[in-house]
Amino acid sequence: MDRNRDKKQVSTPQTLTLTVVPERCSGCRTCEVVCAIHNNKVNNPKKARIRVLSLYPQPVIMMPIVCKQCNDPKCMESCPTDAIYIENGIVKINNRECIGCHACVVSCPFGAIYMHADLNEPIKCELCDGDPQCVKACPKNAIIYVPQHTLGQANRLIDTLKYAHLNEMQYFEHGVEKKLSYAQIKTGGLRKDKVKQGKEPGDADGK
Amino acid sequence: MLMGNDDAAMIKMKWGHLGKILHIDLSAGNSRVEEYDADFALKYIGGRGFGAKIVMDNLKKGIKPLDPENVIVIAPGVLSGLYLPSSGKTAFVPISPLTGIYADSNMGGMLGVEIRQAGYDALVICGRAKEFSYIWIDDDIVEIRDASKYRGKKSTETERELKEDLRDEGIKVATIGPAGENLVKFACVNSEWSRNAGRTGMGAIFGSKNIKAIAVRGTKDLPVYDMNKLVELSDKAYKTLQDHPMMKFWQEEGLMSVIDYANKLGIIPTRNFSDAHFEDADMINGEVMTSRYKIGDSACYSCPMACGNICLVKSGAYAGTVTEGPEYESAAMLGSNVGINNFSAILRGNYLCDELGIDTITSGSMIATIIDGYERGLLTLEDVDGIALSWGDDSSIMHLLEKIASRDGIGDVLAGGPYGVIRKFPQLEPIISHVKGMDQSAYDARVGVTMALAYATSDIGAHHARAWPIAKELEVGADWTLEEKVDLVIYHQTIRPLFDMLGVCRLPWIELGFDENAYAEFYSAATGVRVTLDDLLEKSRSVFNLTRAINLYMGVERADDYPPERTFNDPIKTGPHVGEHLDRDLFDHMLNIYYERRGWDENGRPSDEQLRECGALGLFKSQLD
Repeated sequence: MDRNRDKKQVSTPQTLTLTVVPERCSGCRTCEVVCAIHNNKVNNPKKARIRVLSLYPQPVIMMPIVCKQCNDPKCMESCPTDAIYIENGIVKINNRECIGCHACVVSCPFGAIYMHADLNEPIKCELCDGDPQCVKACPKNAIIYVPQHTLGQANRLIDTLKYAHLNEMQYFEHGVEKKLSYAQIKTGGLRKDKVKQGKEPGDADGK
Repeated sequence: MLMGNDDAAMIKMKWGHLGKILHIDLSAGNSRVEEYDADFALKYIGGRGFGAKIVMDNLKKGIKPLDPENVIVIAPGVLSGLYLPSSGKTAFVPISPLTGIYADSNMGGMLGVEIRQAGYDALVICGRAKEFSYIWIDDDIVEIRDASKYRGKKSTETERELKEDLRDEGIKVATIGPAGENLVKFACVNSEWSRNAGRTGMGAIFGSKNIKAIAVRGTKDLPVYDMNKLVELSDKAYKTLQDHPMMKFWQEEGLMSVIDYANKLGIIPTRNFSDAHFEDADMINGEVMTSRYKIGDSACYSCPMACGNICLVKSGAYAGTVTEGPEYESAAMLGSNVGINNFSAILRGNYLCDELGIDTITSGSMIATIIDGYERGLLTLEDVDGIALSWGDDSSIMHLLEKIASRDGIGDVLAGGPYGVIRKFPQLEPIISHVKGMDQSAYDARVGVTMALAYATSDIGAHHARAWPIAKELEVGADWTLEEKVDLVIYHQTIRPLFDMLGVCRLPWIELGFDENAYAEFYSAATGVRVTLDDLLEKSRSVFNLTRAINLYMGVERADDYPPERTFNDPIKTGPHVGEHLDRDLFDHMLNIYYERRGWDENGRPSDEQLRECGALGLFKSQLD
């Protein structure tokens, strides 16, 4: 697809990316109403660019679904009028070119483009000019906006900490209780019994 | 009064309200949209206010709750669906099959938002469908459709199949389970897995109208007068709640934290309210839930508090049970009140109640009553279908829940609620805690006279929804006058129903101390009508007079405004308040003060002026004719 490649050449990769943590989502849909108010100036969650799909009881999941700003977007590929383009890493729709055929809506592998009867063009996240309102509104921190290269960092950290077998000890400094976490590295590094115990409160520690 | 479409003089509310009420007549198989005027909107606000007014307008002498003529109003509030904390509430308002008087029950979730987005401030359902049906509302399209394939199905099963059959995952469904079809008097209406219009038997009303469910798809904008102002107020409100030091704890435990609190105070219902302290409370509290069962949070529309707890039983007899909940009332009524100290069993009970479509509170209460009756020798083994009942025997309790829903044997008696049980077994009357036919919720009233007054004078029976003054009373202690106590109950009975009129949840105010004055500002921003909180409270007070008028019309009198008999003559057996019970003379005196402070006469009748003001004087005029 040559036309796509052309477009990619004029775009520069975005630095921040919008991503969701479905395990944290409570399904409250504050993101939806905030999105519609910010972008459409109306209180109507059915016009939001982000929607929560709740499934229950088996399996139970609440999934906020929003455009991932793909590098090689299927929506762009499917658009018959080349109305979809990438600008600064954001996949955008040129409303003047859009004929309202919904090809992008069905081709998106995540179903992250929406329609509403009042609107001719599809509803798609364009990241609120770099300040996504849903991120600020989410009460559960389930929608995050982070540098692309840090994606997966949390899992990397969690996995590393699990592997390292985290221990915790308490000690006192100037009479204040503190906590120290340390890794019990099996090959003789730091060992629990070698850690010098802190002083008890009331000890004349620097006072 | 409601006005017809063709009334040229009608002044419409342009903002906040949608101005339309959808009337569905199941007997005739049709529907019509009625527009209302600004007077109606300003006076009754919405939700419970609209419901009460419409129910009153439809009252007839001798009307029976399960008659086709009884209407059920499903009304979100004027703030439902708007960008502000916890705006997902809907009121269900009929004459109740459980109590035979005015009733409302409110449901969280998203149903109300969807109804408003479909363009209606309220649905009014009357008549009885010829065939077993469901109602499909797709914005302006309203259809009554065949539901025979959903007959006998459980709640989530029905919801799932309706979504599949209508090919839309986004629709909202309110449905009854098998219990509603069997006209169990405390059947509930369930939506989105575990949101329920739980109390006073809304499900039986659906069943009596021969409808299984309502499915709604709404896509319209909700009109807001000053969007910038609303956003400014709400941004601030969300931030206040988010920054609250208790917020994280709330998201974690939700209402389950009340178990420890109520146990410590000695007000937790235990073994049919015989005790007010449960020795195994630490086996069914919030900590047990979060550490061993909780797998996720869930929230109603636009609510940061997310007090819903999704729980999974991972081992034991009930392994594989996944349910949302329980919250305090369910955990206490299906736990300590029936002697269950196994949290898995409580979850199972909660799950069964949701799926079968019965109220967890009344179910727990009715089951506790017959276990108590059997243990005391008031019932024979034959009376209880040969099930050797005992406290904490979870398998027979689960069995009873299923028997209630299918009205099998003893279940048929329990399905009648407190009145039904008393009719069949009059000897149980002294051990049933109810007011006006509604069994008491999960706070013991013997400890605080304010709670007793709250149960006694609530317009729907012994429910904590109207007033929950016990925390304040126990906090303040003896150091306040009876007048102050009465005023607290009246204040609660005024502000708490206001939330049900606005269509918002009261928990941000109750649990996180969110400023109630903010709701007047939300109302002003949404409607363009400048009001203060006092203005709104005035309207709520007026609606309380209106519901009182309905109850008087239905035969309620002073003698019905007393707490359960046991409150006076059956002292608490255990806990910090051992030996306590209420003094009847003291209560009598308080009731006098209460009537006086409300401006009612000594029989609890509002003054003619009050009745005229709330629009209910006509009820009594026609009585004289």
